[in-house]
Amino acid sequence: MATPSTSTSSTPSTSTASSPASPLWQRPWARWAGPPLIVVVLAVLPLVMTESANDTLARIGVFAVAVLGLNVVMGYTGQVSLGQIFFLGLGAYVTAYGVQSGWNIVLVFVLTCLIPAVVGLLVALAAARLGGLAIAMVTIALPIVGVPLAKRLSDFTGGSQGLSARFVEAPEGSGLYDDQWQLYVVLVIGGIVFLLTSLLVRGKYGRAFAIVKGNENVASSMGISPYRYKVLAFTIASLIGGVSGFLYMVVVQYTSPETMSFGHSIELLVAMVIGGAGSIVGSILGGAFYVVVPDLTNAVDPSLTALLQGALLLAVLFVLPGGLVSLPRVLMRRLRRSPAGRGSAAPPTTPSSTTGSGTAAEETETERQGHA
Amino acid sequence: MGKFVQLVVDGLSTGSVYGAIALAIVLVHQATGLINFAQGGMAVLATYVAWRLTVNDVPLIFAILVSILFSFVVGAVVERWLMRRFERGDPDTAVVVTIGLLTLITGICGWLWTYNNQQFPSLFPLDTVSFLGVSISIRSIGTTLVIVVAMIALQGLFVGTKLGLALRAVAINPESAASSGLPVGRLLMVGWGLAAGLGAVAGALVAPQLTLTPGMLDSTLVYALAAVILGGLTSPIGVVVAAWIIGVLENLAAVYVPFIGFDLKVAVPFILIFVVLIVRPQGLFGRKVVVRV
Repeated sequence: MATPSTSTSSTPSTSTASSPASPLWQRPWARWAGPPLIVVVLAVLPLVMTESANDTLARIGVFAVAVLGLNVVMGYTGQVSLGQIFFLGLGAYVTAYGVQSGWNIVLVFVLTCLIPAVVGLLVALAAARLGGLAIAMVTIALPIVGVPLAKRLSDFTGGSQGLSARFVEAPEGSGLYDDQWQLYVVLVIGGIVFLLTSLLVRGKYGRAFAIVKGNENVASSMGISPYRYKVLAFTIASLIGGVSGFLYMVVVQYTSPETMSFGHSIELLVAMVIGGAGSIVGSILGGAFYVVVPDLTNAVDPSLTALLQGALLLAVLFVLPGGLVSLPRVLMRRLRRSPAGRGSAAPPTTPSSTTGSGTAAEETETERQGHA
Repeated sequence: MGKFVQLVVDGLSTGSVYGAIALAIVLVHQATGLINFAQGGMAVLATYVAWRLTVNDVPLIFAILVSILFSFVVGAVVERWLMRRFERGDPDTAVVVTIGLLTLITGICGWLWTYNNQQFPSLFPLDTVSFLGVSISIRSIGTTLVIVVAMIALQGLFVGTKLGLALRAVAINPESAASSGLPVGRLLMVGWGLAAGLGAVAGALVAPQLTLTPGMLDSTLVYALAAVILGGLTSPIGVVVAAWIIGVLENLAAVYVPFIGFDLKVAVPFILIFVVLIVRPQGLFGRKVVVRV
């Protein structure tokens, strides 16, 4: 996972990089050494950590991928989706069914990508016809309809009992434990998804997404069909959701209708905004938030989870609209400047750093609107 | 035949509840241009207040009235201290704020009163009346009537009073309303309060049937949003009619279409939406909005 490069790539490079005041990660050698270092650390970590830590890290990886998918449609393209968990659930069911039927695991993986993508495409083709918030209002139905549907189609889904499938075991002779092997699978597949997605959002399509998000009329006038790119973003998000479902089965090895409940769908969105909308690193932070916060609150009082998540989300929207990923930048700015230069109410769906120069213009615009 | 009429009447009653939440969403949207996903959650909070009062032997009707007042205040406070900051900005951000509010309210209800189902007393007797050989439940008729009366009262307020005129002015053009001396901020608070009050009515009426839980109105919210899409965001009457259509159709589909049944009837409005979206993208009653760049 060569992720730290994304946070550095957008900073104005040469002049600041050589000055002694620049932070460590902006220096040229750090940029080149960073990604391989991360890869080495991630390769060694599973070997030295405890089993439960490995499991937690693997679950973070699973939900980081799910949050990344949500980020493609919501953070980068600006279309609020409340149905991402449905595609995770769908992917998990496809995986579980395929494994139980004894299909080749590669075929299962391909189907886990394809089926959610096709379903996502069909939903988006209809939902994106309505402008504005209609995608949010339609996608909220996915988990609400998905749960009873999963219970109903019990021939495929095992009904309320759910399905379990154990298929990722450490190969003989590798000397690895299952939890270590599972974490490696998650890291490799998740890393590839993150790499491909960061290439996508920084390339031609990413710029088109950003324009659709910024102003649909401008997009149309530039020959970029908002409809087509919304559908594309939603389809990609569904595909990534399906992959996260596959990884979910790798780690959790069990799925039930509860996997795709409405509450989880909301939690995923909360995690994305708190991690940082429109940010690759933010997706990882979001995945960590999704996994760690319920673990912590369950230790104290399980009924506090939703309360805490809601309060944290609102707090982040008020004081840190860019999410946790923007925290270092905001702190730096505070330290460097006088407290007067405080940015306000930038939307959390603003791509924080990866879209480069377009971001600054957009931020000032929303600031103006925010005070009307 | 008797069963059919019964299903239609029950459908109208659940449709009225969807319609009340949908109308609240439209009210808020007209005033502030955003979709409040917490509309159902705020109604649940109000219903919990009513339930808490009835546990302490407060008469039910009085408890519900107090909860409506409480909901009005909560709506106004939420508008002033939470939504105001996000209203004229990016609508997607505002939506995320309301989703955060929904999570927070669900969390507060669950924390204060647990996630277990609570029995909420019914305002109407559970008997049925016979009418031309068809037995119809009093609760269904009562629910429909109360919500229709509440809607007519709201309509009267909007059309027949000075406050209503001011509220409409703010909804149409806040800047012009402000320049003609209207207290826009306070009127927005009133608009949110009225919407929340209407939600509280719906919550109290539907709670005996669904039993009270923090997530009680989650699926009702989904139906209401479906009604909003079908009716069009610009048309309060269209939204209520769409809600009734959804309520009746899902009831009929649950009984007469074997695959759907009671568990999958929530899919009905969305099948309807998919059909409508392909035929009439602006909603059944809505007008197509043309934006000048």
